[in-house]
Amino acid sequence: MNWLARLFGAKPELTPEQAERLAAWKALPAPDLNAPHAVSRYVVVDVETSGLNLVKDRLIAIGAVAVSGGSIHLADSMEIILQQNRVSTRDNILIHGIGGTAQSEGVPPVEALLTFLEYLGKSPLVAFHVAFDQTMIDRALKTFLGLKFRHSWADLAYIAPALYPELARSHRSLDQWMTRFGIGNYARHSALADALSTAELMLSLRERMDAKQVDHFKAMRDLDKAQRMVNWTG
Amino acid sequence: MAAPNTLILATVDHLARFAPFDSMEREHLVWLAERLKLTYYAKGETVLGPDSGPVKTFYIIKQGVINGEQDVVRAQDDASWLELHEGECFPLGALLSKRSVASTYRAGHDTFCFELAAADFRELLKISDPFNDFCTRRIANLLEQSKQVLQAQYAKSSSDQQSMSSTLETLIRREPVTCAPETSLREVLETMHKLGIGSMVAVDENRKPVGIFTLHDVLNRVALAEVSLDVLFSTVMSPNPRTLPPHALAHDAALVMAKQGFRHILVEEDGQLKGLISEKDLFSLQRVGLRQISGAIRNAEELDTLIHSAKDIRQLAHNMLAQGVAAEQLTQIISTLNDLLTTRILELELRNDPAARDVEFCWLALGSEGRLEQTLNTDQDNGIIFATETNDDNEAIRAVLLPFARRVNLALAECGFPLCNGEVMASNPKWCLSLQEWKNTFANWIDRGDPMALLYSTIFFDFRPLYGADCLAFDLREWLRGAAKKNSRFLHQMAANALRNSPPSGSVWDFFTGKGNILDLKLNGITPFVDAARIFSLAVGGKQTNTLQRLREITGPLRIDPQDAEAWADAFLFIQLLRLQLHHDQCERGDPLTNKVDPDSFNNLDKRILKEAFRQARKLQTKLTVDYQL
Repeated sequence: MNWLARLFGAKPELTPEQAERLAAWKALPAPDLNAPHAVSRYVVVDVETSGLNLVKDRLIAIGAVAVSGGSIHLADSMEIILQQNRVSTRDNILIHGIGGTAQSEGVPPVEALLTFLEYLGKSPLVAFHVAFDQTMIDRALKTFLGLKFRHSWADLAYIAPALYPELARSHRSLDQWMTRFGIGNYARHSALADALSTAELMLSLRERMDAKQVDHFKAMRDLDKAQRMVNWTG
Repeated sequence: MAAPNTLILATVDHLARFAPFDSMEREHLVWLAERLKLTYYAKGETVLGPDSGPVKTFYIIKQGVINGEQDVVRAQDDASWLELHEGECFPLGALLSKRSVASTYRAGHDTFCFELAAADFRELLKISDPFNDFCTRRIANLLEQSKQVLQAQYAKSSSDQQSMSSTLETLIRREPVTCAPETSLREVLETMHKLGIGSMVAVDENRKPVGIFTLHDVLNRVALAEVSLDVLFSTVMSPNPRTLPPHALAHDAALVMAKQGFRHILVEEDGQLKGLISEKDLFSLQRVGLRQISGAIRNAEELDTLIHSAKDIRQLAHNMLAQGVAAEQLTQIISTLNDLLTTRILELELRNDPAARDVEFCWLALGSEGRLEQTLNTDQDNGIIFATETNDDNEAIRAVLLPFARRVNLALAECGFPLCNGEVMASNPKWCLSLQEWKNTFANWIDRGDPMALLYSTIFFDFRPLYGADCLAFDLREWLRGAAKKNSRFLHQMAANALRNSPPSGSVWDFFTGKGNILDLKLNGITPFVDAARIFSLAVGGKQTNTLQRLREITGPLRIDPQDAEAWADAFLFIQLLRLQLHHDQCERGDPLTNKVDPDSFNNLDKRILKEAFRQARKLQTKLTVDYQL
């Protein structure tokens, strides 16, 4: 890849079959963000990366679990490890537990990302600290599929304190919120296990969401935005 | 479907920590996990209730607590009676019988539940034997479910939710006020007045209760007796008060109160006073109280009052069914009250009959009354045993007792105990006999062993003294214990006779799907247990007449596995409960009471348990076959 190609963003190579799958995904209708939770499907996502540097580090795994009609459907979940041509550092491996062999034996990135898109459909995404997951996923999709991923996201890291202002100062991390709601985790720092815990947190917030009539995705996103304002100005 | 991901596998591992999932095939657990939804319930949120309609979901608690509550009204008093924790499942009974639940299930904490659609639940029953076994074959589990259904069914029409099976411990409301027996009466009365309490308990230096005194006693022991207020409390209190341990049940206390006419029962543990239970504590919410009924009976001066009390007994039985009182206690309470009623009738008739009063006799309860197993549909079975100096007096004494017995039989009939078709009544000269005549009659039956003798044995050998000279009945019982045990030919004949009446077997079970078939709960259900228990009891020289007590009595001598004996007892009690329920429904509709029922009218759950109960009856009969080589 020469410097020009890098500058202008070279078109990645997709097989005709892969291009067709990507086109099929693009053609899916946009979701109704005003539909109530009871009839909506959201995908709660968590990623594992080679590090915490948003610019330099690479996407290693995606874990996702769907919340449909207010419940987590266990089978409607996925976990995919992206094949790496360069194994991440030893310290990093110790965090997410995806070893060198697993990393190099993962699914080829194009295939992995297409599988993720097909699983996702156009369902809105939910995460805890969206900025990180979003950046990683956006860049991987751009790099490998040439896709400008403009998707709706809601961030529980802002929604939770918005619903529980009394806890906003003391509760910052996912772990703190999990402790607050007694949520367990079968394998912390595995993408799918963290996605499940995040989804359980989302379910736990429902009582307050109901109370504040945050009963559809757009309302969740509005709450998310409002809380960001509070954080900036407050 | 692709290989299960870590979330499914983690769920499988999680489930495998609990029964019945711990004994299920991994493949089936994966199948289950892939069909589960995870749902959150905030503390206090209703998961499922009677209004939710037929149950569509099987719930497994992932984390948190679910409380089962009998109804919404009680929910506010934290009166949950069923607490389910991580790994537990509900609602099995309602799912199996495709009904709505009888109780309200509510999250006690923030709770996550795994949920399985009813159709998948049924599929899992088919593919996994351990799961099926857990859900359907554990009779105790099912009985529990069935009882809850029954309870809830009756709860709708009953105001009292207080469970008669709660322990006294839980009913004690406050520290009892006590004094030393040497306290002056004046001081005691002042304290009672000041504190506004109705009773005072005297305790010794070790807090052992030694006496009790109630406001009621002030009238006859102090005011009317014109006792000086300066006397010691110990001279007016009722000494040696009746006590029960804290783990005794409310119905135990109720039974003692009804039998002895007490208003208060002391709770004592390790020789120390723990609390005081009054009749109000037990029946404050109840329209017809046990003690009110027994009090009314005790003080009745005329038959009309007693006829009214007999109706109250039926109403009480209804209320108790609603409280989930077990069949054993319920039939005991009915029998106890019926005993009181009969006793009062006898007392009233004796008042006007000086000649009968001069005879030493004992009124015998026979048949189901003798076994303390009366339901709402019981005709009279009674007899008289009298003492004589010489055999020459027999006819003269009968001449005195028979008209008296006739009046008693007629009075009982007016109270709703129909005259016995077979004339097994004290007014029949054949069953108004001297002690020696009874022994001769019994000896003759045992010796003959013909069908009539065997039939009579099943009714008369369950005799029990109800009123009068108990010692005559005890004498006869001692004699029978020896006589029956010795005659193995007679026991063999009784066993053969009992086996003629067999409970529906597996193949006959088809009547449950056929039309127009009738099941006799007494003949097909109760009798096999009663007959077998009687034979085994006679064989070991037992002295019990109650079927459950007989089953307990024979376990040791006959080396029966206690678990078998317990299963028989459970099965017997379940059928009794169905009978009580049936009679009650017939009462409500004003239909005549019968034991015959259309098997199709049972729900699936009850059918399943009934099937298991019949299986237990056949097991018991098999033991007869083996023991008597039939």
